[in-house]
Amino acid sequence: MRFLVIYDSLKMLYFINLERKVGNNVNFKIRSKITSGYIALILCLIIGVIVVGFQVSTLQTERNKLMTNTAKVQTLLSTLENHTLNMNRSQRGYIVTGKDSYLDPYREAKANWEDNWNELNVLMEGRPDQQESLDSVKTHITRWIETAGEPSINLKRNNDEAGIKKFYREEVGRSEIQSTMATLGKIRSDEISHLASEAKKLDNVNNKIVFTLGLFLFIAAIVAIFFSSFISKSITNTITGTTAAIRHIAQEKGTFTSRIPITTKDEVRDLAVATNDLLDDLENREWVRSNATQVVKNYQGIDAIKQLTSIFLSQVARITRASYGSLYVRNDKEGKIFEQQTSFANSYTKIGRETIALGEGLAGQAALERRVIHLTDTTGYQMISTSLGDMPPKEVIILPITFEEKTIAILELATVNAFEKLDRIFLKEVVSSLGLTINSVLTRMEVVQLLNESRAMSEELQAQTEELQTQSEELQTQSEELQAQTEELTNINEQLEERTREAEEKTAELEITKSDLERNAEELIQSSKYKSEFLANMSHELRTPLNSILILSEMLAENAKAENQEEDEEFARVINSSGKDLLNLINDILDLSKIEAGKLEMIYEEVNINELPLYLKQSFTHFSNDKDVVFNVVKEDDVADVIHTDHKRFQQILKNLLSNAFKFTEHGSVNVHLYNPSLTKEQQRISEQWLAISVTDTGIGIPKEKHELIFESFQQADGATVRKYGGTGLGLSICKEFAQLLGGTITLDSTEGEGSTFTLYIPSLQTGLPNNVEMPAESIFEVPSVEETPDATQTDMPAIVEENFFKNKRVLIVDDDERNIFALEKTLQQHGMIVDSVRNGRECLNFIEKDRHVDVILMDIMMPELDGYDTMQILREDMNIELPIIALTAKAMKSDREKCIAAGATDYISKPLNLEQLFSVLRVWLTTEVM
Amino acid sequence: METTATEELEVALLLEAIYQLTSYDFREYNRPSITRRVHNRLALEHLPNISRLTEKVIYDEKIRKELLNDFSINVTEMFRDPSFFRALREDILPRFKKLDDIRIWHAGCATGEEVFSVAILLTELGLIDKATLYATDMNEDVLERAQAARFPIQKMQNYTKNYMLAGGSQAFSEYYYTDSHFAYIKPELLESISFAQHNLVTDQSFNEFHLIICRNVLIYFSPPLQNKVYKLFHDSLSRGGFLCLGAKESLRFSDIMPKFEETITNEKIYQKIYD
Repeated sequence: MRFLVIYDSLKMLYFINLERKVGNNVNFKIRSKITSGYIALILCLIIGVIVVGFQVSTLQTERNKLMTNTAKVQTLLSTLENHTLNMNRSQRGYIVTGKDSYLDPYREAKANWEDNWNELNVLMEGRPDQQESLDSVKTHITRWIETAGEPSINLKRNNDEAGIKKFYREEVGRSEIQSTMATLGKIRSDEISHLASEAKKLDNVNNKIVFTLGLFLFIAAIVAIFFSSFISKSITNTITGTTAAIRHIAQEKGTFTSRIPITTKDEVRDLAVATNDLLDDLENREWVRSNATQVVKNYQGIDAIKQLTSIFLSQVARITRASYGSLYVRNDKEGKIFEQQTSFANSYTKIGRETIALGEGLAGQAALERRVIHLTDTTGYQMISTSLGDMPPKEVIILPITFEEKTIAILELATVNAFEKLDRIFLKEVVSSLGLTINSVLTRMEVVQLLNESRAMSEELQAQTEELQTQSEELQTQSEELQAQTEELTNINEQLEERTREAEEKTAELEITKSDLERNAEELIQSSKYKSEFLANMSHELRTPLNSILILSEMLAENAKAENQEEDEEFARVINSSGKDLLNLINDILDLSKIEAGKLEMIYEEVNINELPLYLKQSFTHFSNDKDVVFNVVKEDDVADVIHTDHKRFQQILKNLLSNAFKFTEHGSVNVHLYNPSLTKEQQRISEQWLAISVTDTGIGIPKEKHELIFESFQQADGATVRKYGGTGLGLSICKEFAQLLGGTITLDSTEGEGSTFTLYIPSLQTGLPNNVEMPAESIFEVPSVEETPDATQTDMPAIVEENFFKNKRVLIVDDDERNIFALEKTLQQHGMIVDSVRNGRECLNFIEKDRHVDVILMDIMMPELDGYDTMQILREDMNIELPIIALTAKAMKSDREKCIAAGATDYISKPLNLEQLFSVLRVWLTTEVM
Repeated sequence: METTATEELEVALLLEAIYQLTSYDFREYNRPSITRRVHNRLALEHLPNISRLTEKVIYDEKIRKELLNDFSINVTEMFRDPSFFRALREDILPRFKKLDDIRIWHAGCATGEEVFSVAILLTELGLIDKATLYATDMNEDVLERAQAARFPIQKMQNYTKNYMLAGGSQAFSEYYYTDSHFAYIKPELLESISFAQHNLVTDQSFNEFHLIICRNVLIYFSPPLQNKVYKLFHDSLSRGGFLCLGAKESLRFSDIMPKFEETITNEKIYQKIYD
């Protein structure tokens, strides 16, 4: 409640302030109007609330007072009753008991009851009926105390039993107590009825308050309605007026002549003033625009600068009411100098300077800074002349005319009046569009000038173009040449690529060759080891007979004088036999080395087997006779009469086997058995027809562990055997090698001390051994053969190598001179070559036709029938012969050599022949090309 | 042989090291062939990888030399590129007929095949008595072989063909004799030739020459080094002297080109300008 009151008072203060403000402001604004309306309304409400609040508060106080009084009265009445009863009871108690202690309540009540009564009396003030009742109560109590209380107590104290009995009998004071109680009851009931009547009164006050509240609300409503209608009316009135004025202006369509009337002093007035300002501005702008348009329209289409500027200046001067005017236009590209183009003067005299430089004077400065200079203080300025006299201008304005941020012209105007702001705006407006026009006019003038110049130049160009045409054609030609060169380069490039590829292929081939060579090198090492072993053995074998020959021949020389003929004969015989041994040994070595060098060619021919037993008998019977050994040759009937093999080698094998058999057999027999062997598959693959020849002796035999060894070179059973039986030890090796070369094998079956059987199996081969057929020897009999034949051309045995280099090489000599052929043949044959010769080109062609296995051709040039050139050409081109042809030319003529090469000669050599040169050339061309 | 990425890197580093140490530039050279040579050297030195070889090359001058020997590909043959020798015979050498003595320098002569070829040309032109041929190479082993003047006999077939294509006027067999393995250049041809060790990179000019032949040597050199050698040649040439390069070489892009003019472009024969 209190809070509300504070809040209300604060609000009051605020509104009072507001009220004061509003009062101060004469211009009563819309906002103020609205605000005051609300304030009035709120005031009404506040007053109402305060009044009602006060009434409510009063009501509440009264009610509280009423309730408190009633409660007190009730309490006091009860207390009074208690006191009365207490006194009565206590007096009785004392009288009965006689104990003084029973008197205490009596005494206390007697002391206090009067206070209570007084209090009640005060509360009952203003109510005479109640006070009267109270007086009666007081009277009764007082009488009781005087009549009943005190006397009875005193009686007791005096022990006046009789008095007491009497007292009781008379019932002194009883009525007093009863009437007291009755009176107090009456007071109590009166009090309750009093409370009810008071409450009724309060209800009436409450109803009054409710009514007051309603009244105030009603008044507030009335006030609010009044204010709102007044305020809204005043606002809408001004706005409607303004709107109407604006609508009217809009209907004027751009003339902007009417204005909004200003009647009020509120915000609408501000609106009207602002709108009117806008209209003023619009009118000014319209003026500027229309004038500027007019000016621009007038100078449009003019393409001479003088005319343009004079029209412009006169119009601008007229519109701005200027008295003097002058216009300068840039006269050079750099824009440093401005030249006067036109002037305007009321006096018709020439005015102003002829030129202005950039930055010179105010005009120049304006041009430089591209800003407008407006002078209002023009003391000492040029006088403006009228027909009546001269007067000074009042204001001068200088405007730079720009295009693309560059000053291209300057306008200067002077007036005796003043240049209004509007004039200045107008000037700026027209000047801005003039810049573009002046520039375009200037440009147009420049273009015209350039056009004239370019016409002159184009004629010159014409001439130059023709010249260029010629040059361009030349260039065209050159470029075609370049094109051709480029293509050539491309071709070369492709060739290069091709070559690179070939080189890479070659590299790969070389890699392969390299690994081949490495393998060969290893093999060489191996075979060289064999060779040294071979040599070590051989030198021993050679030394033995040589030793005897040397010693014996030395002795023979010493004996020459002694004339001991018998001894000499003996020596000679031994020397002879040693020589024979040596010869045999050397023959054997040669055979072996031939085999190893692979130079031994087998010549397959028919061998008559029918005659073989007879031949063997004839050849070996004398051995059997010498040694007392029986010699038998048995041939099975089913053995074929003829086989194909190398007759010579076949015989050699048999001879060796038989020689050995006789050599190691002292007595017993040597039997030869010819039969058809049963064939293994391997053997059948080589030939259908085989012959087996076994040689069985009853000699010393060979121990089992040496069966394989004896086929190796220089191996006999042991050293002693050699001394006893002689022989080279090469026989069986040779037999084995020959047998292999012929496609066959040799087997051995022997028991030491009982004898041996060597069996030769040999196939019948009409055309020789096919190259790709492997020799079966190793696989069947496990006889280790001599390692692969080493290449004879690459060893450290030069003599043999040189011998072998030309050996068996086939050369064809083509020459018509018998003596030449004879000489050449002899020389070449000495080197082991196989020589054929023909007399002319024709014969040469026929020869080659039949037999192409020639290693080299020596070709004479000058021949009858078909000469060397033609022969070579036919050999090369028609017959595709690639073997080397060495042309033999007569000395000198270089043209001959060139013809030789053109015809296909591999090399040439001059006649007469230098033999060393001939062999050099043969070596070069017979060397197998490695590259 | 397959080269891994690591190995490629190792080879590149090795070649870089060689270039830095010796100025011999094998970096642009045919990589598989170089790699193969490197592997051969690895096997000979019993080294596990190329990086170890690089280390050895850096610290051991002997190994470096040997590797360079492996690299210097002395591929040459008599009358190699016969058209070049034909041009020499027909166009260049006849110009020296007026001279009293002719000095010819074979720089990088390798095993001497081309020197002997020029000697044959001079013989056939009748100029050999006036001529001195200086044959130099940096590799002494190779020089020794050149002085032996001996070739495997198998090569002679090809040389004979080259000789004929180069326009030889005699029988090629007149210039050699043979045994079963080798062909030997006849001593008469060797009389005018003097062999000497000379390093193009480090050594100076030692005479003034009418003709310098240096074929297929500089292709292994880096361009700056080439320029240096070209300058050496220029300084060593008499006025109007000739310089002959290999088919894959050219003066055209070198600094020295303005001081020469091309005499026979296809054969890479250049003449020092008279100035």
